[in-house]
Amino acid sequence: MSPDVLDGFFQATQFNTIIAVAIGCLVGLIVGMIPGLTISTGIIIVLPLTFVLEPEISIALLLGLYVSGMTGGSFSAILLNIPGTPSASATAIDGNPMAKGGEAGRALGIAIIASFVGGLFSFFCLFFISPILADIALQFKSPDLFSLMIFGLTIICSFAAKSLVKGLLAAVIGLAIITIGQDPMMGTQRFTFGQVNLTAGIHFLTALIGLFAIPQLVDNFADRNNGTEEGNATKIKSIFPKITDLKQMRLPVAIGSPIGSFLGILPGAGGPIAAFISYDYSKKLSKYPEEYGNGSPQGIAAPESANNAVTGGALIPMMTLGIPGDPVTAILIAALLIHGLVPGPLLFVENGEFAYGVIFSFFWANIFNIIIALVGLRFLVKVLTIPKTLLMPLIAILCVIGSYALRNNFFDVYVMFSFGLLGIIMRWLDMPIVPLLLAMVLGRQIEEHLRVSLIASKNDITIFFTSPFSLLFLCLAAASVFWSFWAEHKSKQGHKTTN
Amino acid sequence: MLLMCGGYAYLTANLPSRDIQNSTQPSFFPWVIVACMSLLSFALLVQGLLPYFNSEILNRSGIPAKRITIALVLAIAYMATLPWLGFVAANILLFAGLMYLYGEQRPIWVVVSSIVVSMTVFILFREIFQIRLTAGILEGLFR
Repeated sequence: MSPDVLDGFFQATQFNTIIAVAIGCLVGLIVGMIPGLTISTGIIIVLPLTFVLEPEISIALLLGLYVSGMTGGSFSAILLNIPGTPSASATAIDGNPMAKGGEAGRALGIAIIASFVGGLFSFFCLFFISPILADIALQFKSPDLFSLMIFGLTIICSFAAKSLVKGLLAAVIGLAIITIGQDPMMGTQRFTFGQVNLTAGIHFLTALIGLFAIPQLVDNFADRNNGTEEGNATKIKSIFPKITDLKQMRLPVAIGSPIGSFLGILPGAGGPIAAFISYDYSKKLSKYPEEYGNGSPQGIAAPESANNAVTGGALIPMMTLGIPGDPVTAILIAALLIHGLVPGPLLFVENGEFAYGVIFSFFWANIFNIIIALVGLRFLVKVLTIPKTLLMPLIAILCVIGSYALRNNFFDVYVMFSFGLLGIIMRWLDMPIVPLLLAMVLGRQIEEHLRVSLIASKNDITIFFTSPFSLLFLCLAAASVFWSFWAEHKSKQGHKTTN
Repeated sequence: MLLMCGGYAYLTANLPSRDIQNSTQPSFFPWVIVACMSLLSFALLVQGLLPYFNSEILNRSGIPAKRITIALVLAIAYMATLPWLGFVAANILLFAGLMYLYGEQRPIWVVVSSIVVSMTVFILFREIFQIRLTAGILEGLFR
């Protein structure tokens, strides 16, 4: 066993790191269960704190929030039939009927335990797959890395958008934004218009706060529900599931955990897709499919194990290749970059202790998630009664402070607001935000690897087709584009047949 | 999108070039983006014109346009005055304005919550997390 594994374990088990994980889990459960607040927004809210914390503590806090946010989303889905996060949508199908039948505690208990098993499964995937993938990725040269990132972008466009063209366009806009500032190869100023604040380019986090939080604040204007519903929240009796429930959960959890972990690895697939696919497979393989939709424990366990398994899966490409699997891992990359740590294969070589520390923090996040959720459930659900009239303005001022705190600069607040407007326009045009975000994370590296490859090959573009890795990634990118077009075509055919 | 692409292409054409052999110019990657953007914009235009792609009509009926417009004006005013007012006074005003826009009707509750929450957040970030937030016109109170 590598000494980094033990060092990483001790790093993740230090008192401060453990406390950070626990706080992250508590905040994550609260954020996750509030409808209208996504995990990304929750992370954005706590992000300014991470600037002043040690990197391992910052990441531990964010991981706790990420893992518990997924579980928290199921609370409001079960109690109010309003998913706290998109990933919990499938949980509401069976969770809410069970809660309406007077068994809210049982439904929540099943969701918490299934989440724990899914999360733990993905921890083992993360622990065993990441070092192997990092070793393989160390062999990648500039053309391979360029093609890999193009593959990451195309696949996220395929999953994130209803229209592939709109998804790709969003990614290209993201690439255009990162060309603002100094040219990475020669240091030439590009598109700065003489503005000193633009010399270092647009900070990814400022853009991210605007793109995610502002459209969400605007969306909440349309929602008249003031968050004061107590509903089934007061009717929680026994939380711990019965032995028969645990027996029934075995198959759906065994289906949901690997599906979630696998889909988490694919950039852009994310929790909602994993949850619905697991629900569907679990129903097909169940002895009692007719019970699904009427408060079946299996119908809760399958999506919940899947959406929590996504978290560990999404961390695999983030840590080994530097490619985020979803918006939250994109924020985690940015948080690491702030502390001078570059995610990718070299993270395991140069900062092995830290890399394993992150993996073990993820393990602790799953442990604290189940403890805090089970022990504090009755108190946590009271959060659902916080009025939106207080919550949304609070998020707005935290976004402003978060943008300002990055560089103590008012310019970043203006940039955040501009990106907020861009996010609103994109939402109205039905353009996905996630490809733009990923393009902003990967853009600089894409440009660097493209130009380095061309310089090395004396401007011969066949270099991208002669390397086997590069060729494989380009073929996969092409396949994801064609698959997406085919899926869009099939969907339109389906619509026409229905009409 | 085509207009945006045109503007970006114009700016790219005006980028300075470097006389280094066997090296790509600073404008190289922006030109790649221009090519991709124009191609995709054209594809989007074609999709918009062809009835096959145009079956879904976006429903925007639920948008509270009046409240969004007021919020936009409020946000612009907030950002214009933020460097001068500082994070305490400006946040109190923004918080109160947003509370009202989100449907809070009790004036005393609006005033009390906006002052308490804004002050708490400011003190928390400035004193505990050591983030140098400016207090603007109220700097004297927080020295």
